[in-house]
Amino acid sequence: MSASMRTYIIRRLLLIIPVLIGVTLLIFAITQLFSPVERASLYIRDPRQAKDLPSIIKKYGLDLPVYIQYFRWIDQVLHGNLGWSESTHMPVLKALITHFPATAELALYAAPLTIIIGILLGKLAAIKKDTAVDHATRIMAIIGWSLPSFWLGIMLLAIFYGGLGIFSPGRLSVWAENLVLSGEFKVYTGLYTIDAILNLNGAVLLDALSHLALPVTTLVTINIALLMRIMRSSMLEQLNKTYVIAARARGLKWKTVIDKHATKNALISVVTISGLLTAGMLSGMVITETVFEFKGIGYWAAHAATQLDIPAVLGFALFAGTIFVIANLIVDILYAYIDPRIRLG
Amino acid sequence: MFRGKARAVSKAVAAVIVAVIIAAAGIGVGLYMATQAKPTTVTTVVTTYTSAVTTSPTTTTPEKPPIKNPDTMIVATIGEPETLDPAWAYDTASGEVIFNIYNTLVFFDREHLDKFVPMIAEKVPSVENGLVKDNGLTIIFPIRKGIKTHAGGEITPEDVEYSFERAMIQDRDGGPVWMIFEPLLGVFSLTELGNISDPTEAAKVGKMIDDVVEVQGDNVVFHLAKPFPLMTFLQIWSQTWASIVDKECAVEHGAWDGSKDNWVEVFKKYHNPETPELQEVDCGSGPFMLEKWEHGKQVSLVRFDDYFQGPAKLKRAIIKKVDEWSTRKLMFLRGDADIVYVPTQYAEEIEGAPHIRVYKNLPQLSDMALFFTFEIDPESPYIGSGKLDGNGIPPDFFSDINVRKAFAYSFDWDTYIKDVWRGEALHIPGPIPKGLPYFNPDQETYNFNLTKAEEYFKKAWGGKVWEKGFYLELLYNIGNVQRKAAAEMLKENIESLNPKFKIYVRGVEWPTYLRAMVKAQLPAFIIGWLADYPDPHNFVHPYMHSKGTFAAWQHYKNPHVDELIEKGIRTTDPEERKKIYYELQKIYFEDCPSVMLYQPVGRHYERDWVQGWYYNPIYPGVYFYVLSKGY
Repeated sequence: MSASMRTYIIRRLLLIIPVLIGVTLLIFAITQLFSPVERASLYIRDPRQAKDLPSIIKKYGLDLPVYIQYFRWIDQVLHGNLGWSESTHMPVLKALITHFPATAELALYAAPLTIIIGILLGKLAAIKKDTAVDHATRIMAIIGWSLPSFWLGIMLLAIFYGGLGIFSPGRLSVWAENLVLSGEFKVYTGLYTIDAILNLNGAVLLDALSHLALPVTTLVTINIALLMRIMRSSMLEQLNKTYVIAARARGLKWKTVIDKHATKNALISVVTISGLLTAGMLSGMVITETVFEFKGIGYWAAHAATQLDIPAVLGFALFAGTIFVIANLIVDILYAYIDPRIRLG
Repeated sequence: MFRGKARAVSKAVAAVIVAVIIAAAGIGVGLYMATQAKPTTVTTVVTTYTSAVTTSPTTTTPEKPPIKNPDTMIVATIGEPETLDPAWAYDTASGEVIFNIYNTLVFFDREHLDKFVPMIAEKVPSVENGLVKDNGLTIIFPIRKGIKTHAGGEITPEDVEYSFERAMIQDRDGGPVWMIFEPLLGVFSLTELGNISDPTEAAKVGKMIDDVVEVQGDNVVFHLAKPFPLMTFLQIWSQTWASIVDKECAVEHGAWDGSKDNWVEVFKKYHNPETPELQEVDCGSGPFMLEKWEHGKQVSLVRFDDYFQGPAKLKRAIIKKVDEWSTRKLMFLRGDADIVYVPTQYAEEIEGAPHIRVYKNLPQLSDMALFFTFEIDPESPYIGSGKLDGNGIPPDFFSDINVRKAFAYSFDWDTYIKDVWRGEALHIPGPIPKGLPYFNPDQETYNFNLTKAEEYFKKAWGGKVWEKGFYLELLYNIGNVQRKAAAEMLKENIESLNPKFKIYVRGVEWPTYLRAMVKAQLPAFIIGWLADYPDPHNFVHPYMHSKGTFAAWQHYKNPHVDELIEKGIRTTDPEERKKIYYELQKIYFEDCPSVMLYQPVGRHYERDWVQGWYYNPIYPGVYFYVLSKGY
């Protein structure tokens, strides 16, 4: 790695700090639109608890000036404490760590599949422009783009689980869960497919994969649409460029022109969207996680937000912000790799 | 040749893609329809409800499918525990786990709310067996020997004393321990006993806590502040907040160590903590042990083989949180969930499915009412002009009984219960739910009668209400369809009486609803109460006592009512109590501080291979010890 690249990466990583301060300040400001009583309502689940509203407000300092509340929170974060998530009854950091593996496992399979299939089909559609393949991928894109993910998810569940009795919801079957709980199966990463490989347990691996089949299919179907269309238009743009005509005129094989030249150049625009897509998946997929009982970070954050669980929302913002900054950084580095004309600095 | 071949391939690929999409959609719709309930072998149970619900299910399913996970009971529901600390827990989801992993001194005798069986105590105290003395002010529990704990110890009388003292010290805001304080010390919270930051007062408070529960040999003795109905006492002592904690285990996890030398420090450290010490810890001796709590996903319990009454039939019990109804339904129909929570609006979807058993008409110990605010905050944005000028209401609008009665006669119970609750709710006359002792079935009540409503509106405010009309807003919290329907029904009926009557029904989020309610900004509000313990006192106090939760928000005060309520809980003679609660129900009708909208009746859905379930309305959830799977 060159010195300039290293400096660039360090600079971009340092940029995380102001970005996160900005994001959390914004969220903090929005939460102040709610009165202390409204924010304290998170702790009131039953009318008989309402008498304790004043002491709850005092206990959590909800009536203090906003800047004091913010600096208190920052001070807490600097001491490694992201606060307490009342909606999930555990520390925010623990909630993040608990829920992330489910999301990461989904993203681990859904993101590469979406990117690979999206690029391949987009490329194919461009090469076969105005043919049946192009039309079919267009239909796929329209369907994927317009299908509500909850509907698709429920339909897939109804077909495969309800109808055929395969691909049940959740992350593991009961027997596999019992095995994990028994301690005979060691959990290293929380990603069961990876852990199954590390435990050399093929049965758990297959079980985990069968539970991933439907949520991953849903995510790929929904997310592939945009990627496919961007790849198609980017590829078409490249195919119409003079360097392609020149390459063909020099006698280069069509396949070589497409694979070695046009595809690489077409990928530049796809890289950005792929980076954002992966970051988006890693930050949680609320509906898919809910329908398929994959209780990941998206499910947790949405649940926390609806209950005005401010520490949880702020913790999630820190997490998601970091993911997006890192994803953008990776995208920028990939740019430089794909197109040597791009200089980082 | 190449182009021709490519075109052929293209067409084939396209055809496959389109065919897959069409086929998937077709199969999807077909199978989705197929998974809908079929009107075949459903079990329905009619229950009667006195002191216990009797259920007699019948199942007529021709072919029995193989039992899935035969030694594991899986409950698919929507709630998640808040905590596993018995002193902190006040929600049913927490209670469901706690009452499976902890024991109490006594426990409800199956379906019965008024009969008890000894658990950690060797006997149920009564006057007859000499364990209730001094006119009910001393209650003695002889402690059973040899009860093993999950942590490897044995329950001792010291553990019992420790559990109650620890609960009283913790007494978190909004927690359940007021129920222990009320009979023992005559207060509702620790801080009512004195200033716990002051060393002298803290020492006094500490001594009071220390003195009300003490070990005497193999017995644990409770000293009550004032006479308290024994049955009510035992009901409170049978529930999760009275769970017996293994002291050694609790101390190991950072709980109070039992030291009584420096009470200020004890209170400072252990009173109303941010999080309870036993948040995710099992220090119990119940039939199941906590295996793992996977937040947001499930709680897994595993059988405790050394349980003092013998090991459970089930090896494992899993309480899964499955928010999405469609997923929950499919899990139930496929047999991957044995017991499932079915919201009323989806009942029809599942009712006819094969191999399930449904228990219906299970009266719940909760009810819901429309409350009138007697002194509305003048700054309330929900009262229009704030005057009786046709564009608003004065803050004391509902202080006129004629207005309250007119509103009461404007509610159409029959339609509401039929349309909104599908007939599964009861129209009850007062705050005491049907099924509780001293419920008066003959108490006169309000019925839908627009003629009477008009009559009272004409009398209200010396005729000004009828003459000038009014405008007010009725709020409901978004997502609560039952409250919304009640508000809209009331609006429609009242507006039909006089074109000058205007009611705006507004949906707001729960935080806004709560804020407006506690600040007395709502002219009228709809909210309900779920029993802490099955005694009428637990209902008349919040609904009618001037210091009760709802009555205080309403600014409703009737000194005679307050006196009766306080007398009711201090009276031990059942006949005397009956008179008091009957009178309170009569006053409720006459005073009309609020209007009872309904008492829900519930259902229980289980696979037909589940054996042993029975209904006790005060249980926070499924009691796994009595369950098994089989045909």
